[in-house]
Amino acid sequence: MSAPKLSRRNFLRGAGGAALALPLLSYVDVGRTHAGPPAFPKRIVFWYTPDGTVQEAWRPIGTPESFELARIMKPLAPFADQLTILENVDLGVSYAGPGDMHQVGMGALLTGRKLQAGSLFIGAGGQSTGWGDGVSVDQYIASRVGQTTPFPSIELGVQVIGATVWTRMSYRDAAQPVPPESEPTRAFARLFGDLGRPTDPAAAALRTRRKSVLDAVSRDLSRLSGKVSAADRVKLQAHLEVVRDIERRLDLGGGILPAACAKPTAPEASLDTDAIGNFPAIGRLQMDQLVAALACDLTRVASLQWSNAVSTTVFTWLGGKQGHHELSHAGDADAAAQELLTRMNVWYAEQLAYFAGKLRSTPEGSGTMLDHTLIVCVNELSIGNSHSRFDMPFLLLGGGGGAVPGGRWLKYPSGTNHNDLLVSLCHAMGLTDVTTFGDPDYCKGPLPGLLTTG
Amino acid sequence: MPRSNGRTRNPLAWLAAVVASAALAAACEGRVGDAKPGFLPPPPPAGAAACGGVEEPGPSPIRRMTRFEYDRTVHDLLGDEARPARGFAPEEQAYGFDNNATALVVSGLLGEQYLAAAEQLAAAADLARLLPCDPVADGELACAARFVKSFGKRAYRRPLDDEQLGSLLEVFRAARADASFEVAIRAVVSAMLQSPYFLYRVELGAPAAAGATTTTLDGWEMASRLSYFLWGTMPDDALFEAAANDELATPAQIEAQARRMLKDPRARAVVADFHDQLFDLPALDTIPKAAPDFDDVIRADLKAETRLFLDDVFWNDGRFEALFTAPWTYVSEPLARFYGVAGAPASGFAKVAVDPERRGGVLTQGSFLAIHARADQSSPIHRGKFVREKLLCQPIPPPPNDVQINAPAVDPETSTRQRFEQHEKDPVCAGCHHLMDPIGFGFEHYDPTGRWRDVDGKTAIDASGRILDSLDANGAFDGALQLQERLRRSGQVRSCVVTQWFRYGYGRGETTVDRCTIAGLDAAFAKAGYDLRELLVALTQTPAFRLRRVDGGAR
Repeated sequence: MSAPKLSRRNFLRGAGGAALALPLLSYVDVGRTHAGPPAFPKRIVFWYTPDGTVQEAWRPIGTPESFELARIMKPLAPFADQLTILENVDLGVSYAGPGDMHQVGMGALLTGRKLQAGSLFIGAGGQSTGWGDGVSVDQYIASRVGQTTPFPSIELGVQVIGATVWTRMSYRDAAQPVPPESEPTRAFARLFGDLGRPTDPAAAALRTRRKSVLDAVSRDLSRLSGKVSAADRVKLQAHLEVVRDIERRLDLGGGILPAACAKPTAPEASLDTDAIGNFPAIGRLQMDQLVAALACDLTRVASLQWSNAVSTTVFTWLGGKQGHHELSHAGDADAAAQELLTRMNVWYAEQLAYFAGKLRSTPEGSGTMLDHTLIVCVNELSIGNSHSRFDMPFLLLGGGGGAVPGGRWLKYPSGTNHNDLLVSLCHAMGLTDVTTFGDPDYCKGPLPGLLTTG
Repeated sequence: MPRSNGRTRNPLAWLAAVVASAALAAACEGRVGDAKPGFLPPPPPAGAAACGGVEEPGPSPIRRMTRFEYDRTVHDLLGDEARPARGFAPEEQAYGFDNNATALVVSGLLGEQYLAAAEQLAAAADLARLLPCDPVADGELACAARFVKSFGKRAYRRPLDDEQLGSLLEVFRAARADASFEVAIRAVVSAMLQSPYFLYRVELGAPAAAGATTTTLDGWEMASRLSYFLWGTMPDDALFEAAANDELATPAQIEAQARRMLKDPRARAVVADFHDQLFDLPALDTIPKAAPDFDDVIRADLKAETRLFLDDVFWNDGRFEALFTAPWTYVSEPLARFYGVAGAPASGFAKVAVDPERRGGVLTQGSFLAIHARADQSSPIHRGKFVREKLLCQPIPPPPNDVQINAPAVDPETSTRQRFEQHEKDPVCAGCHHLMDPIGFGFEHYDPTGRWRDVDGKTAIDASGRILDSLDANGAFDGALQLQERLRRSGQVRSCVVTQWFRYGYGRGETTVDRCTIAGLDAAFAKAGYDLRELLVALTQTPAFRLRRVDGGAR
């Protein structure tokens, strides 16, 4: 794996500084000084859409030996050779433990665990729940591979409403949900806010000062941790780790932005990010920024969360009049509703095609960014109206740095749990020492046949 | 301007699962767990006898500032008007409120936002006003130390100890090494605004007697409890002085402060915030509606109507029952047209009498009725659920997570009521729905925008309903006015209002050890004739407010 300094080499600027396709010729240059071909960073991106899918329009047509993409996946046809469709992978662990069907789906999706029994989210009769009960796979991967990038991980959202167990899929640890940034201008400021160039003496002084401030804050948190109750200590320790993460970013040497990485254009501040009709525009801005962040190696672990479980998004641009969740509860016989749900999922696939397209149009060495990225499509349900969490619509897109061969429809035996997928994702990102993820009762090891090395 | 991360509305979760866009013309399929009628235990009976008489303080988890509190605090501390916390990651919510101490975490995103805000606030700070000395005349280090002590005492809400002072002076020295005195002072400000001593209300309690399980709070801690409970901000000079003189120790002293503070305008923002959250008023901004005239003006004005109403009830009337019986409301000119009533003012809002046959009380206002309805239909389930959970404090269990619910097709010829009556007939669905739908039917005269209607499609409105499975509000009624009459006479509803203020005021959900505290508050509320302002005073008199458990290390 290339040394961190590689990410701070010269990137070519695009015209007008708004380049999103940044040819990383520098990697090729550096490659020549090494024995083998240059190693590009592998990235993993979790792509969430809510409320299940329309199975009949999602599942490929034909057999795994010879199939064509169904309607919902048609927009992904240009990427068919880097697509892996999974069948019969269940969210088995979500059928145990407390919580309602959307809560457990969201809580188990990336953690592979039941929700905590707790009293934060009321449900009487012993059904109250707390948060997710462990670290989520994206945060786990980030903790292992993300220490050399400015952000261990980046979470972006599109109109994610509220901060509850229905709306959080990432967890730094048990009961420590990680919020996505849903506001494009704030995401931009956070990702591309520039401290100036590292060689600038003013910027260097600012960085030193910031570090000194954060050291004092860390001292206070450590000291206070020792005086409070055990439960409070957990909170303060988590806060302390957050401060240390920020300090580490300063230690990585330089401002938030690598020396010559071209910033994308800042999003319009006037965009009303609460207006439902702006959902597509917000999504587009977030996708653009995410591509730029990955291209600038600001992180290698990311997620883009479109809305949340029990989504209230109204697809007005497709003629929709009801919230997604409401519509997802239409009966199977309601043809008009099922058609609209299908078109909504097609629309989501079109967004994915746009995102993958941008990654593909960014060359990296003899390939593209998409070759070195694994996009993992997730949903908290399989079927909206029955809340089924069997046969989840998991989809992998991208080369994953060679870890995932594409063009496959993999049917797993019934009873396969998604914890196994989470293990495989760790392996795909180079963490081959992982043997189980989440609740061990629901995990057998990696999914057979998913990755190149099996 | 509402912001995407700032929407506090809870998604209407599993509920819509059983609502379905479709009507239920046939049965719900599938296995549902133990959803038998009457399986919900009613809330514990009020009254000290039932609880054993001992009021315990209960847990006191450390409380992180909310965005609301952060902005108000930096305003009082630094004169800031920019309200940076509006851009922070939203609070994790629990029990319907955004200030549940156990739920709040500091995520990486929030940590960075704290950093950015602290630097901006420090950069904008008016040092001329904040510095108590002249660095040139008094010596830089000495002046820095004086600043740390005087500003720090307000920022940390108590005098600093030597270690805190030393730590901040280290920041000063390090910054001063390559920047000016002023820049170094601003670095100190930035450090303080990110310190846990600022961001959390740190309570270690007064030194406890050996073997004691509870202890009092020291004066500084009590000052902060009072100021954040009643004002949502840091203590004022009077509270700080009372703390310094150890005059916040006895219940009488605390009560005197509470009464003083309730007269201060700062209390109004807290009460308004509580009502906004209880009634989920910000949801009006975004809830989808099919009616084209339900525009931004109407949304804003419906919100304002209820806010003005609740304010007036709380501060001018004060009686709990007026929430449900006040025969007036506030209208603007657009609202008057919307509702079809007279009395519109030329501009702004005017207080008007309502039509006594149709309106009166918060549950007959457009805000409640529109928020708890769908885009193009009323929703007996949402409206009933609100009454059951928020006013009767009986949580409705979500469907067990293994049920397969497949809603059948809609019959557009039926009324909403007819469609949902199937919920009641099917025993599999009725177990939970009997708690909500029969209440919600009482609101059928109000369409999805909150306007009055006499027909729903082709069917004349039937607004008869009943409350089941409550302690003391059971019975039949016809229409929202009769429903509200049952609610206002109910001890369970009164106790629920007490419980809601407990949750909001103490920043936690009630636990079994709080039974006696709640019973005591019920009694105090009754003794005060159910005056809402007296309830707030009573909340400062409980052991839960005045004491804390001994569960941490020593100071």
